[in-house]
This record gives sequence, C-alpha cells and structure tokens, in this order.
Amino acid sequence: MTPRKLFAVALVVALAAPLRTLWGSDAGRIQFENRQENSGISFVLDNGTLPDKPMIDGIPGGVALLDYDNDGYLDIFFTNGATLPGLAKEGDKFSNRLYHNNHDGTFTDVTDRAGLRGEGYSVGAAAADYDNDGRTDLYITGFDRNFLYHNNGDGTFADVTVKAGVTGVSSAGKKLWGISAAWLDYDNDGKLDLFVANYLDWSFATSRVCGSPGKRLSCSPTFYKGEPNILYHNNGNGTFTDVSEITGISRNIGKGMGVAIADYNDDGWMDIFVANDNDRNFLFKNRGGKAFDEVGVESFVAYTDSGLPVSSMGVDFRDWNNDGKPSLIVTALGGEVYPLFRNEGNGFFSYESYKAGIGFRSLKMSGWGAGIQDFDNDGYKDLFTANSHVSENADLDGQQHYRQANAVFRNMHDGTFQDVSGDAGPGMQIRAAHRGCAFGDLNNDGKIDVVVSAIGSPAELLYNTSTGGNHWILIKTVGVKSNRDGIGTRIKVITASGLVQYNHVTTTLRQLEVTRVRMIHGSTLDWARIRLSEKST
Amino acid sequence: MRTAFTSLLLAVCAAWPALAEPCTGAEAQLAQVAKALTVNALDIAENMLRTLIASYPDCPEIVLHQARLAQAKGNIGEATELYYRYTDKDPDDSRGLAYFGRFFLEQRDYMRADALSSAAADKNPDDPAALALRGQILLMKGQSPEGQNLLEKAIKLEPNDPEAQFQLGTIYDKAKAAAQAVEHFRKAATLNPLDVRAWDYLALNLELVGDLDGTEQAYQKGLQVNQAGRYHDAFLDYNYGRFLAKRNDLTRSKRHLDRAVESAPRLRAVWYERAKLDMRMQNYQQARADAEKAAACTQTGGVIDLQIYSLLSQVYARLGDTALAQKYTDLTRETPPPVRGEQR
Repeated sequence: MTPRKLFAVALVVALAAPLRTLWGSDAGRIQFENRQENSGISFVLDNGTLPDKPMIDGIPGGVALLDYDNDGYLDIFFTNGATLPGLAKEGDKFSNRLYHNNHDGTFTDVTDRAGLRGEGYSVGAAAADYDNDGRTDLYITGFDRNFLYHNNGDGTFADVTVKAGVTGVSSAGKKLWGISAAWLDYDNDGKLDLFVANYLDWSFATSRVCGSPGKRLSCSPTFYKGEPNILYHNNGNGTFTDVSEITGISRNIGKGMGVAIADYNDDGWMDIFVANDNDRNFLFKNRGGKAFDEVGVESFVAYTDSGLPVSSMGVDFRDWNNDGKPSLIVTALGGEVYPLFRNEGNGFFSYESYKAGIGFRSLKMSGWGAGIQDFDNDGYKDLFTANSHVSENADLDGQQHYRQANAVFRNMHDGTFQDVSGDAGPGMQIRAAHRGCAFGDLNNDGKIDVVVSAIGSPAELLYNTSTGGNHWILIKTVGVKSNRDGIGTRIKVITASGLVQYNHVTTTLRQLEVTRVRMIHGSTLDWARIRLSEKST
Repeated sequence: MRTAFTSLLLAVCAAWPALAEPCTGAEAQLAQVAKALTVNALDIAENMLRTLIASYPDCPEIVLHQARLAQAKGNIGEATELYYRYTDKDPDDSRGLAYFGRFFLEQRDYMRADALSSAAADKNPDDPAALALRGQILLMKGQSPEGQNLLEKAIKLEPNDPEAQFQLGTIYDKAKAAAQAVEHFRKAATLNPLDVRAWDYLALNLELVGDLDGTEQAYQKGLQVNQAGRYHDAFLDYNYGRFLAKRNDLTRSKRHLDRAVESAPRLRAVWYERAKLDMRMQNYQQARADAEKAAACTQTGGVIDLQIYSLLSQVYARLGDTALAQKYTDLTRETPPPVRGEQR
C-alpha cells in the first residue's frame, strides 16, 4: 500500500474570537487556575504504598480526556492503584473514576453507572473510537490487568478485553506490566490499532528493597529485565490480533514508560516512539504498514547527546517550531535533563535541551506526563510537564523533592523556551506528587486546559486563563473511510500573516496521558488543509 | 644551699622562658606561619620563618613548618629530610605525623600516608590536622561513613582548614548533594583561593543547584589561579568548556576544550567532549578526528565505550559513511547501558 498525499478539508471547522491581522500581536501571559475545589471532582490517586516502597507504587496515575457521551464537552477519566501486594481495588479509594462534564465547570462522578471502577492495579488510559461507531472507547493498562471498555452509547461501557484479545498478555503467556498505550492506524486500513508499552519483568517475589530502613527509595529499573511491547492489529470485527512478532515490535526489549505517535519522516505512515526508563529509547519506523524498523540509534533519539540513557518517562511528539516536522520532548528524573530532540527532517534528530533553554531549568525537575501544546494561542506550541520525583522519601537526602510544582515553558518563537511556571498563577505552584496529565479544552473557550493526577492529593483541573485575544480554530476530524477519530490526520494551517502551523491528531497516551483531538491556533485563518492517508476521506 | 640553687633556677626560667621551652614566646607567630602555609601564602610564611629561626633556633616546630614550606615549593628531598628531623625530635606530635602523612599522600605513597595518618589520629584524637588526614585516607579506602565522621569532627575543631573543607565537599559531591557540597567547596576556595580544584568543584556544584552566574564566577576565579604547580587542575578548562557549550557559547567553549585537549591529551573525556562540540558546530571532519582520538584513549575519564560508539555512529552518519555508521550503530545497540545506582 503506497501512501498518497491527499488533502481534504476538515469536516468540522469552528472559528471563534475576533480576527487579528498579525499572529501573536495580542499574545499574553500563560496562566492556569486550579478549579478543582468547586468542580465536584474529588479524585485522589492512591498508590497503595507499603513501607518498603516497591517500585510499582511510583507508577500509577493515568488521565484521559474523552467526550464519552458526545455532548461536545470533554469528560475526565482517571486510573487508580490498588492494595499492595493484593492488587485489589478494595473500597472507593482505589476505584478508577469517570467524571461527566456538566458544561458549567462542574463534573459528576458517573463511574459506577459507566461500569468503570476497574480491577487490579491500573496505570494508563487511552481513549479512541476503535470500532468506528462514533463513540469513544477506553483502553486501560495495568500491572496485572489491561482492559478494553467498549462504549455502549448509553453512558455505560462493556468490558470486551478478552473477546477483543487485548489482555496485555504476551505470546509466551505472560501478563506484561503495561504502562502506556496509544491508538494508531499503523497500516492505514481505516481501523485503529493498539500499541501497548510495557515496563519491567518485576513481581513482588523478585522485588528488591532499596534505601535504608525508614528511608526506603524506589529501586533502579536497571536491576530488572525489560519487557517487549505489544502491537495489536484491529481486525475490524471487534477483535484484534497480536502482531508484535511479525511486525518486529517484540524483537526489541525495553523498559517502556511513555509512547507517542507521529509520522516523523512524512511518508504517510505513523511511527512510534517509546520512552524507555534507563534504557535506550525506541523509534519504530513504520515500513509501509507491514513492519517496523527500530531506528532510535540511527536517528539519534536512543540516548541523549551524552550517549547515555536517562529515566525517560513521559513523552510528546509534535511540531513545536512550525517546520512541519514532529519533534520530541521526554521527561526524566532530577539530576538529568528533559531531553528535547528536534526533528531535522532528514532522518536525524538533534538533542537540543540546552540549546532550547530547558536544560538548566529541568535539571532539578522530575517529570511524568508531558505535552507540546499552544497554551497562549500565539501560534507556537509550548511545553508542559507534570512533575514529581518517583521516590516518596526522596526529600530525606535533601537534594530531590518528591512533591514538585508542574512546569510550563513558553515557546519564544526562535527555537528556545522560557520557563514561565513561576508567573503562571497559583495553580502552577502546587507542589504535589504529580503523575499523569491530559490536555484539552474543558470549557470550550479556545484555550487548552490541563488535568493532572497526583498521588495523595486531589487531581488538579488547571484551566487555562492566559490573557491575550488571539483567536483560534478548532478542528474536529471525522473519518469516513479512515478511522472515525481521524487519528493520524496531519493538519496544516496558514494564517493571513503567513505563519504556518502544523499538528496531527492523536489519542496517544503519553506516559499516562491522553491528548484530545482538538487543535487550537492563534491568529487569523487563511486556509487549512488536512492530509489523510490513502483510502482516507 | 641546694634548695637555694633550685629556687634560683626556677626564677631564671620564669624570667627567660626560652630556657624552659625553645618555642615559648613564638606561639602567635608560629600560628600565623601555619595559617599562611595552609592557605598557600608561601612568601609570608618564608619571611616569618626566617625571622623566627634567628630568634628561636632550637624550636622544633619551626622545622615542621620548614618542611611544609619545602613541600609546598616542591622541594621534595628537602621536605623529606625536614619531616624526618621533626618527627625524630618530637615523635609524639600528632600534627607532625599528620603533615608528614599528607606529604606522603601528595607523593602518592599511600601506604606510608595511611600508617602515619593512623598513628597521628591515635596520638591525639582531638587534633584536627590528624583527623582531617585520617578522614581523607578512610574515604580513599572506601570507608566513607567513618571518613566523613572524622572530617566533620576535624572541621568542628578547625573550621579554617581548607583541605578538610574540600575533602568533605567531595563526599557531598559524590553523593550528589550539591547544596552541601557548595557550602564546603565555597569555604575551601575562600580559605585558599589558590586551590583551583576547589573553584572547579564549586563551579560544578553551583551549576547543579542552578546558580549559573555563580558557576561562571567560580570558573573565572579558578582560571585566574590555574597555573602549573601544586594546585594545577587539568580539568578546569574541560569543565568550563562543557558549561559554556550548555550556555550555547560555542566559540568560547571551543577555546577551553582546545586547552583541555592540550593539557590532558591522553584522556578520552576531553577528546570526546570536543568531538561533541564539533558536531554541534557541524564540523564533522574534526568531530571524526576527535572522536577517533577519544576511542583510542585508554584513560577514559569516565567516558565509556557506549558513549564513544554512539558518538561515532552519529559522526559517520553525518559524514555519509554508511558502512562505518552502521558498524557503530550496531556496537551502540549491542552495548548495554551502565548499571546505575541501586536506588533513585
């Protein structure tokens, strides 16, 4: 199947706010306001931690934004932990949660009605309409159980995991520790396939205890073997086939945390990046929808410029400098630096953390979820990271901090970013054990909001209250021959000023997070075009 | 008669202290000499010693300081002879043993340094010089908690010992406790501004705590005093060059990495770092030359094979040499990343 470069108009295009002639002319400060307190959302992520701090307890906290009832407003789903070592969701405190958006800033907990309390130790979530029925479904990764919930269209979901064949069990019969998942149509057949990033060969039986009594710390993943990732091909009849082996995916053993999807080489086939914890990252280059070549080393994204791995966790894969080439941000632990890999467009990426100005700033941060989003609608995408150290007792040595404030880096339009977290409002100063984050416009005001989960603290609803009057466009892609969500669609927007912006549609769960299929850009719209893959309309 | 004579002798001794103790009356000046030697103010120490010798020719402590002066000036034979002379005269003086032990340490005679440091600490467990040296030796022997304990005790007794401050700083540096390391390296550098190592380590740790202006200043101060001799630091240009590269000052970074390559040409790390800079500056031919040099070095300076393979794969890919790029790509894939600390 040879991809053609097809262009089509967006099926739904909405314009809002007065037109302005110059991009960025009224770009204001990036501001966030945490409105959790009056939102009706009381979710507190519970990792079920034990005194010995087994490494499972640092990992949970996926967040997904999805409009499960198609009312035009994003709803919120949180994954949750379980008892340890029992892995049971005993009582309400370990339940996964679905909150319905009431359109007025409040939410209603509809978990029980939806049938989404879950089982076992849940980690990540990825939302997409896998069966093209117009309703968003939900995939949950976990340590002991993965789940595929089919959206019944009446506010309820059905567990179809076993029937669909997406249990997260390897071909060798072992349930792998699923962390992240991403929906993508890797073979451009119009049906969404599923990629699951798996972490370590760890169990309570093999669990080490690290640190000293009273100061237990999370053990390094270097003590454990990695796991293969899984790629499920969508058969189009409600079932999936594990194609990990025939596509070459499972030949590469890593320690997967985050996964992000983009067509990095502009060949019309979606590629996959996996952030591996203390191991080399993977870049799976899609070979015509039939197989993948792992080219992380060749593309210079396997390691940082020091030739060594970092504790890669969250990741996003988007064009931040408006050159049409998706680039990468990866979060890591304190003492390391968040790697920023710029896509050169020639198959190579260059490591630009310091060049872009986030090197020194991120040195003291530990990050989980990450996003490349335009928060101030100035036409250039900014960076957001959900921060916290992995070890609850990290503060005991005085150098690291378990509870950290999130960070936002403003795009300065010249390839550099400025850390504006300190001026981004009280919502950005909350020190907590942040984990997953998800991006979307919760109140349909044209600004990207952020929802962040935190261990032991209420989830944060960071409404974007950035000043500035640049207008925006929201494009909702609806595939007819392609997957109905239009995942993989590449959108190019040219404004009257000549500013060109690119984005692509994903529901990638990037280390516990989901990006919603909305695009917001600053400035006046001159024209927009949407490129779909072959057979897509 | 006998009683009368004894009384007379005591009276004379009281009136002329030098008769009773050969150093009596010189204590304050000797302390100043010791301080001058500690902070490497050799001219001051030498002048004072010259005066003291004339007035107190039999004061053994003068011999000890002469030994330290000779050591600081690099007169190894003279220093050795003087240290032996002093310890023969006063074998129970823990300070003498400690300074002699530090002399052996500088000469990389670790066994004698170990023995003397142990003896010094045994003689006087409250002598800060003895405790500082013993602490340092224990650190080198891998007995970190004990070493740290002795160094902390030494600093409590004598907070103005720059070497003890420096050694304690290295403990925090290794533990990645940058804030505490900064505290001790700053004291060490302030007490002995000629100690380039202290400025270098101070700069490295200031960078980790995010004080970039302080980092720059520390490097500048280190560069001002980085001369051949006792405190020469071959890594200063290397570290500063790396810092400048992170600050995107590539031209100045190049200048310092060039100097680093000149001063430590057998060290893999300096060639490696310059090759990385060459890559950033898109000077791929030079990057190849430097990276290959790095690969050939046996003194790694902490740069492991995986890093070299990864760099060479990039260099040859940029140069379009697909065969060599593939070779080093394969080696990069086959080489496992290092096992890091047990916890995080």
